[in-house]
Amino acid sequence: MIQTNTLTWSDTWYMAPELALVVATLVLAALDLALPRRTNRDWIGWGALAGLVAAGVFVGWHIHDLRSAAGAGEQTYHSLLGGSYRIDDFGNLLKLIFLGASALLVLASLGTVKREDVPIKGEFYYLFLPAVVGAMVMASSADLITLFLGMELLGITSYILVGVRKRTGVSGEAAFKYVVTGGTASAFILYGMSFLYGLTGSTNLGAIRGALGGAAADSRALIYAAFFLLIVGFALKLALAPFHAWAPDVYQGAPTPVTSFLAVVAKGAVFAMAYRLFLNTAYFQTDDSRLRGDVFLALAVLAAAAMIVGIAGALKQQSAKRLLALSGVANAGVLLVPLALDVTDLHASLFSEFLYYFIAYVFMNVGAFAVLTVILRDAGSDKLSAFAGLYHRAPWTAVAMTALLCSLAGLPITGGFFGKLFILFASVQTKAYWLAAILLATTVVSYYVYFSFIRQMYMRTGDTDGKVAVPVPAGIVIWLSAAATVALGLAPKPVLDWVGGVYSLAVDFVAR
Amino acid sequence: MSSVFSQYAWLVPAFPVAAFAILTALGRSLSRAGAVIATIASLASFILSLIIAIERIGQNAEDYVGGIDWLRTGAVNISAGYEVTNLTSLMLVVVTLVALLVNLYSFGYMAGDGRISVFYAYVALFTASMLGLVLADNLAILYICWELVGVCSFLLIGFWYQKPEARAAAKKAFIVTRVGDLGLLIAILLLFWYMPGHALDFASIHNVFDTQSGIVSMSITTLIALLIFVGAVGKSGQFPLHVWLPDAMEGPTPISALIHAATMVAAGVFLVVRTFDIFEASSAAMTVVAVIGAFTAIFAATIGLAQNDIKRILAYSTVSQLGYMMLALGVGSVSAAMFHLFTHAFFKALLFLGAGSVIHAIHTQDIREMGGLGRRMKVTAWTFGIGALALSGIPPFSGFWSKEAILTAALEGDHPWLFIVGVVTAFFTALYMARLFFLAFAGKPRGNAEQAAHAKESPAVMTIPMIVLAALAVVSGFVQTPFKDWLGEWLTGEASSHGASGLVLVASIAASLLGLYLGWLAFVRGTLRPDAVSSRLPWLSRLLERKYYIDELYQLVFAGGLRGLGRALAVFDEAVVDGAVRLTGYSVRALGRLNTKLQNGQIQTYGLAAILAAVILVLAIAGRRFW
Repeated sequence: MIQTNTLTWSDTWYMAPELALVVATLVLAALDLALPRRTNRDWIGWGALAGLVAAGVFVGWHIHDLRSAAGAGEQTYHSLLGGSYRIDDFGNLLKLIFLGASALLVLASLGTVKREDVPIKGEFYYLFLPAVVGAMVMASSADLITLFLGMELLGITSYILVGVRKRTGVSGEAAFKYVVTGGTASAFILYGMSFLYGLTGSTNLGAIRGALGGAAADSRALIYAAFFLLIVGFALKLALAPFHAWAPDVYQGAPTPVTSFLAVVAKGAVFAMAYRLFLNTAYFQTDDSRLRGDVFLALAVLAAAAMIVGIAGALKQQSAKRLLALSGVANAGVLLVPLALDVTDLHASLFSEFLYYFIAYVFMNVGAFAVLTVILRDAGSDKLSAFAGLYHRAPWTAVAMTALLCSLAGLPITGGFFGKLFILFASVQTKAYWLAAILLATTVVSYYVYFSFIRQMYMRTGDTDGKVAVPVPAGIVIWLSAAATVALGLAPKPVLDWVGGVYSLAVDFVAR
Repeated sequence: MSSVFSQYAWLVPAFPVAAFAILTALGRSLSRAGAVIATIASLASFILSLIIAIERIGQNAEDYVGGIDWLRTGAVNISAGYEVTNLTSLMLVVVTLVALLVNLYSFGYMAGDGRISVFYAYVALFTASMLGLVLADNLAILYICWELVGVCSFLLIGFWYQKPEARAAAKKAFIVTRVGDLGLLIAILLLFWYMPGHALDFASIHNVFDTQSGIVSMSITTLIALLIFVGAVGKSGQFPLHVWLPDAMEGPTPISALIHAATMVAAGVFLVVRTFDIFEASSAAMTVVAVIGAFTAIFAATIGLAQNDIKRILAYSTVSQLGYMMLALGVGSVSAAMFHLFTHAFFKALLFLGAGSVIHAIHTQDIREMGGLGRRMKVTAWTFGIGALALSGIPPFSGFWSKEAILTAALEGDHPWLFIVGVVTAFFTALYMARLFFLAFAGKPRGNAEQAAHAKESPAVMTIPMIVLAALAVVSGFVQTPFKDWLGEWLTGEASSHGASGLVLVASIAASLLGLYLGWLAFVRGTLRPDAVSSRLPWLSRLLERKYYIDELYQLVFAGGLRGLGRALAVFDEAVVDGAVRLTGYSVRALGRLNTKLQNGQIQTYGLAAILAAVILVLAIAGRRFW
C-alpha cells in the first residue's frame, strides 16, 4: 500500500517552526555569500537568534492551540504526512527546550567567538539552525524513516560544526572522530530499524507495536536482535559507558558553544528519539513477559554503567571540557533512568521526571559552558587551573558558576537536586533499589568532582590578578542559567505542574 | 473582622532579607552605610509589625493564613506559609523592636570594628530567620528557620573568631543546641508519620490534639511532646542543656541582648506555646515541663549568685527566667508564660545593653574591678537600675506583674511546691541583681586608674535604646495586672479567672525586698560580710562558682566517655570501615585509570571497546534466554 504523503497547505501551519528555521537558514546563507568579507559576521549570529526565537514563538502557539483543543475536548495531537509526523505535547515541549537552549548558545557565542579561531563565522552561526531542525524532526516523528532522517540532518550538521576551527588540528581530529562514531551509531540504529521493518512490514511506530506482538511468538531472536542493535546505537550516540570514549575527544576539539550544543541539544534529541521509539515499540503485547523486561534491563544496565564510569573518569580530569564531557556521560545515565524503569501503574510519571531533570540539565550545562567560554577567552586554556582565583577576578561569574556547580552536583536548593530526587523517588517506587543506590553513590562521588572547580575558584590564586572581561551576551546567558537553576530548585512545583498538565502518556507518546 | 495588614505580614521578614542580600552583595565596600541600610530595614519591619498588631487590638481579629504551596509530590505537601494570630503579631513586635534598638545601639558599640557590615549582615539574617520562625504556619518551615537562627547564633557568637574562647563558645553552642534540634526533628518526623494527611501545620495540629483527641495514641502524644520539649530545652538553655548559653556571652554584647536574651532563646518557649495542644493532651509531658522549668529557675539563680563576670550573671539570670516561663507553661498558663516572655525581652535586653555600655567604657567584664560607675555613667546606671528592679520583681516595674502571674498560675494550678520554688527563686534573683548593681555602680572604683579614667557615659546612639527599653521595662507590665487581664484575653481569647491573690502578692514582694535588702546590707552598708557564707561553707560557694560542676561532668562523661568509645570505634573503623572505603576508593580510581587507558585517542580502540561492550551486553542479557 503506497500512501501519497505530500505536504498540503494546511500542513505548513503545523510545520511552521521547522519551516521558519529552514527559511532563516537559506536567507542567512545567501546573506553570508552576498555580504562583503569585511562585514562583521556577528550580524548573521543575531539573524540566527531571531530565527530561533521566531520558531520558538510558533511552537508556543502550537502548545497553546493544543491546550485549547484539550479544553474543548478535542483531539490533542495532529498527525501529518501519512502518520509519520506528529505535532503533540511531547514533541512541542522538547522543541521549545531545544530552541531555547540553542538561542542561549548562540547568544553566548556572540562576542566570544573570535575570527582567528573560527574563520567561517557566518557558517558557524547559521549551521546551528538546520541542526536544530534535525533535532525537532527527531522529537516529532512517529516513523522510523523520518526519525532517521532527522538524526542524520542533526548529525551531519554537527560534524561540520565540530570542525569549524579549520586551522586547529584538534578540531579536525574531533570532527573526524565524530563522523566515524556517528556513522557507526547510525549503522547500528539503521540495522536495528531494518529488523523491525522486516518483522512487522511497517515503518510507522504505531503499526510496529501492533504487529510485534504477533511476531514475538515465532521470531524471538530477531526481536532481541532488533532491540539490542537499537540500544547499542543509541548508547553510542548518547555516549553511554562504555560507548563514551569518543565524547571527551570530540568535546575538547569542538568550539565551546558547539560542545555545549552537543551536550544539550544533540543529546536531548537522541533522548527524544529513544523515548519515542522505545515507549512505542517496546510495549508490544506478548506472552513472553521476559522479552520486554530484558530490553529495559539492558537500558538500566547502561544507565548504571554510564553513571559510574562517567563520574569515575571525571575524578582525575584536569581539562574542564573533558571533565564536563564525562559529567555529561554520567548525566546521560541519570536521564536514561526514567525510561529504563519501565512504565507500570506505579510509575506513569516518567516523562515529568525526564523532562524536569532535562530542563535542569540544559540550564546547568549551557551556563557552565558559557562560563568556560569566558575563561577560555581570557586564559586560552581549558585547564581547571584556569579557574584559579576566579572569585577575586570575576566575583559575579564565580557566584553564578557556584550555583551551576551545586546543581550539577545535585545539592539543594537547585534544579539538579530536585531532578535527581524525583528520579530517585521513581526508582525506589518501582523497587529498582540497586539503581537508586548507584544514583546516590555516584552523586556523592560527584561532589568531589565538581568541588574541584570551587576549590580553584575560591581557594587558589591565579597567575594574574586582572579582572576577567565578561562579554555582555555571555554574562546574560550565565546569569539567566544560574537564576533558572536556582528558581527550579526554589519552586519546582510550577514546572512539574506545567509538564504534568500539558502532557499525558497515553495521548502524547503512543502513535495512532 | 478581617485584618487588612495581616496579609502583608510576609513583608516583615522580607525587609531584613533584602538588607542581608544587599550587605552580602556589596559587602566590604559599604562599611557604615551597610549599618544604615540594615537599621532602616529593621525600622521598616518594626513599623509594619506595629501596624499589624495595632490593627488586631480591640477587635476579634481572625487569624490570617497565607503562603504558597512549595512542593507537592504525591502524599507530601509542604507549603511555605505564614500565619498571623494575636500571638504571632505580639512576637513580631517584640522581635522587631528589640532588633531595631540593637541595630541602633551597635552603631556605637561596634563603631571601631572593621567587619561592621558583616556584623550587620548577620544580624539582618538572624532577624529575618527569627521572624520567619515566628510567622511559620507549619513545623517544616519553623524547623528551617529554627536551624537558621541557630546558624546565625553560631556565626555571631564566634564573630570575634580571633579569640579562641569565642571559637570554642560558638562550637559549644552549636553542638549543644544540635542535641535539642535532633529531638525536635524526630518529633516532627513522628508527627508527620502519625498526623492524618501528613499535615504539619499548626491549625491541623490544634484540631487533632485539641478537639479530636484519640487519633494519636496517648504514649505517642507524650513522646512527641517530650521530644519537642527537648528541642525547646536546647534552644532556651534549660537544664541540662543550659551549658552553652553562659559561654555564648563571648559574642558581642548587642548580640547577647538580641539573640541570647530577648529573642532566640525565647524561641523554645514560643515553640511550646505554638504546639501547646500536644502538651495539654499529655499530663505527663506537662509535669516534665513544669519540673524542668522550676528546677532550671532556681538552679541557675543560685549559680548567678557566685559569678563575677557581669554578662555571665545576666546569662544565668536569662536561663533562670526562661525556667520561669517553662514553669508557667507546665502549670498550663500560656498567657503567663507569654507575658513574662514579653516583659523579660525588654528588661533583659536593657540589662545587656547596659552591661555593654559599661564594658564599652571600662573594657572589663569583672564586677570586682568595677565600682562607683553610677556617678560617671548616670544614664547607664539609672536605666540599669530600672532593669534590675524589673528583673527582681519590685512593683510597679514590669517584671513584678509577669512573675506574679506565673506564681499565681502555679498556686492556682495546685502546685504548692512549684510555687515555693518560684518564690525562693525570686529571692535569689533579687539578691544577685542587688549584688551586681551595687558592686558595679555603687561604692568606690576598684579597678586600676586607667579604667576609672575611661569611665564616661556612652554616646547617645547607645543610651537612647537603653532609655526606650527602660521606659518599656516600667510600663510593659501594665498590659496584664491581677485587676485587668488584658493581654491574656487578647492572646487566648478567653478571660482567665485569676484575680488578685493576697498570698502571691505578699510572698513575691517580700521575697524580692528581702533579697534587695540583704544585698544592700552586704554590698553597701557592709554590716553583712559578703564572705560570711563562703568562709563558713567554702564547698558551697565553690560549688556555685564552678556551676555545680556540670561542665566538668559533661567533659568527663560525654567528652571522656565518647573519647573512649571513639577509641574502640577507631579500631573497628580502621580495620573494617576504612578498609571498605579504601577498597571503594581504590576501585573507583582503578576504574578511572581503566577509563584513561581506554581514552588513548585512537578511534580504533574506541570502536573495539564499543563492539566488545555490545557483545557482552547481548550475551549477558539476551543470551541467557537462549541458553
